[in-house]
Amino acid sequence: MSADIDTLPGYTSGNGTGHIVRWLAGFALRGGSLLAFAALLVFFSVAAPFFFTLGNIGNVLGQSAILGVLAIGLTIVIIGGGANVVKGGIDLSLAANLGLSAAVYATLVSAGYGDGVAIAGALLTGSLIGLVNAIAIVVFGIVPLLATLAVMNVVAGLELVLTQNTVVSASSDFLSLLSAYGPFDIPVLAYVLVIFTGIAAAIIQFTPLGLRLYAVGAFPEAARAAGLPVKRMVAGSYVASGFCGGVAGILSVSYLSGSTTGAGEMLLPVVVTALLSVVFSRRLVPTIGGTLLSTLLVGFLTNGFQLLNISSTLVSGIQGILILLVVAATSLQRGKGAA
Amino acid sequence: MSIAANPDHNPFGLQSVGQYLLRYAVIVALAGVFAFFSFATTTFLTSANLTSILVNNFTLLAIVAVAMTFAVAAGGIDLSVGTSVDFASFTFVSLVLAGYPVGLAILLALVSGAAVGGFNALLISGAGITPFLATLGTLFIGRSTQQLLTNGGNPVYLPQTGISPLFSFIGHGHIIGVPVPLVIVGLLIIVAATLLFRTRFGRVVLAIGVQQSVARYSGLHVPGHIGLIYVISGLIAAIAGIILTSTVSVYIPNSGGAFMLNAIGATFIGTTLSREGRPNVPGTVLGVLLLSIVANGLLLTGLSFYWQQVGTGLLIFIVLAASFLNRRGRVD
Repeated sequence: MSADIDTLPGYTSGNGTGHIVRWLAGFALRGGSLLAFAALLVFFSVAAPFFFTLGNIGNVLGQSAILGVLAIGLTIVIIGGGANVVKGGIDLSLAANLGLSAAVYATLVSAGYGDGVAIAGALLTGSLIGLVNAIAIVVFGIVPLLATLAVMNVVAGLELVLTQNTVVSASSDFLSLLSAYGPFDIPVLAYVLVIFTGIAAAIIQFTPLGLRLYAVGAFPEAARAAGLPVKRMVAGSYVASGFCGGVAGILSVSYLSGSTTGAGEMLLPVVVTALLSVVFSRRLVPTIGGTLLSTLLVGFLTNGFQLLNISSTLVSGIQGILILLVVAATSLQRGKGAA
Repeated sequence: MSIAANPDHNPFGLQSVGQYLLRYAVIVALAGVFAFFSFATTTFLTSANLTSILVNNFTLLAIVAVAMTFAVAAGGIDLSVGTSVDFASFTFVSLVLAGYPVGLAILLALVSGAAVGGFNALLISGAGITPFLATLGTLFIGRSTQQLLTNGGNPVYLPQTGISPLFSFIGHGHIIGVPVPLVIVGLLIIVAATLLFRTRFGRVVLAIGVQQSVARYSGLHVPGHIGLIYVISGLIAAIAGIILTSTVSVYIPNSGGAFMLNAIGATFIGTTLSREGRPNVPGTVLGVLLLSIVANGLLLTGLSFYWQQVGTGLLIFIVLAASFLNRRGRVD
């Protein structure tokens, strides 16, 4: 946990080759990740003519909305908890949260309640799950990885109890509004993703609250010494993440016209997307904008492969290789052992 | 929190009893659920059912959890244990199906599981990637690889006849009345506990797990030991793949992943048994036993399958909360 001497900046800069390698890796990462993203878009546009059309890009945005909102929730937790995945911030309950929130929404709508009640129900469910995580981590002191793992099991079980492992179909005015197409023939979900990202980025990236969250995550002792309410900030990040789960639940009901039984499958893609966020920032820290970019990267990869008729089984392998490349470059850039 | 933090507490008072209950939360929980299911159902406390718990619920998870314990003891985590299970299973089935001797198939299945661990070792010790991300990457790559190998995820079945009896012996046989999987798991637990706690190698690994930088400054070869740990973890998980395959006579792509989260849960429940909150083999085994008994007992109560999952999750949550409350009391 404590910073090793050889990871402090400047200490090893006298070492010529190591320095150059690190600089190259850093350059490749900073410019390179955006460049690689652009190259990927160009490749798909040339290979699949339909790829670079407003309609297709809008579709990708719309299809990525659920993943994006969940990944933003996880990003907030990672910012507030620090990047050490085992001891730092992580929320494994997010995918199950999406499932339960969606089930609550769909059940309320199909039981005849109005959209207002259903929306409130889903958001409250998501936030409550976040609150349970927060209590487990801050009050009981359980490691986040384990606390959210246990909560994930309970939440997934509750979803099964509520839906009896069936798809609860739901339709309402609000749902059809969400699943419709907006201006420029772009799905409403795409606009939702952009607006949600905008709000989250405004709070996390441009307010004192967001800055404090970064401080708490990067150096809790220093943050405590500076008088920041570390525990309350960490607890808040889990509630915010839970809230995102609730929002994603609503989006998911509109996208699938009902609740889904396979929400748990979302967990690993969400983790990957949030962790990849780091590459799209200059100082290699997780950011909301970075998360949007990595969400779109995953979305465009999947979409491009579909258009090119490449087997979708390759997508998860390529995601895996992507994580490893990114993280290897990151750790090279920071110096060994600091990853 | 503050109860345990009080340094001059009465050693025979209520506080100390509470502290003991917290300290041994796993054992208390184990005794509690055992007693509960014995009274709540008529079928739980029968020798047939207790054997079934050990063979059907305990064996495979125990093996995978022991593999996980090695990684966690070295200060890491292995999310790709399921990938090793799957690769071993695939290799085993494919070779037996192709007519190779069962012994050779077992050997190569073990090698393929260890190779998954070797890949992790390269990433972690070679490229300096954190274990969580490295093994997560391996998990994703392994998933695609299996789908490519099986034309998009089709199971590979073995025919009912014409297979060497040695094949089904691993999953269904008995040695002096004891089911073979149980014999294997028992031996594995003894070997693993010895390796980790009674050898120089094990002590170095534990030292690395506690404080990696100190181990490095003490002149220990950290990357080599960590790399070896992931190979061992993959090798142990491969044993589970072999037993699983021999029991069900089929390889189902990406089925090993189901063990991962429970193995993590059991390992960390097990850490509560150690005074320092460190991973240890006996603790892990008790953790697996707890999860197995709860899974089996809830099934017998006739509770809906869905409530069983809620119950299991709640129980893990309570055990973790109790033990972390206790640990925090010591640290403060």
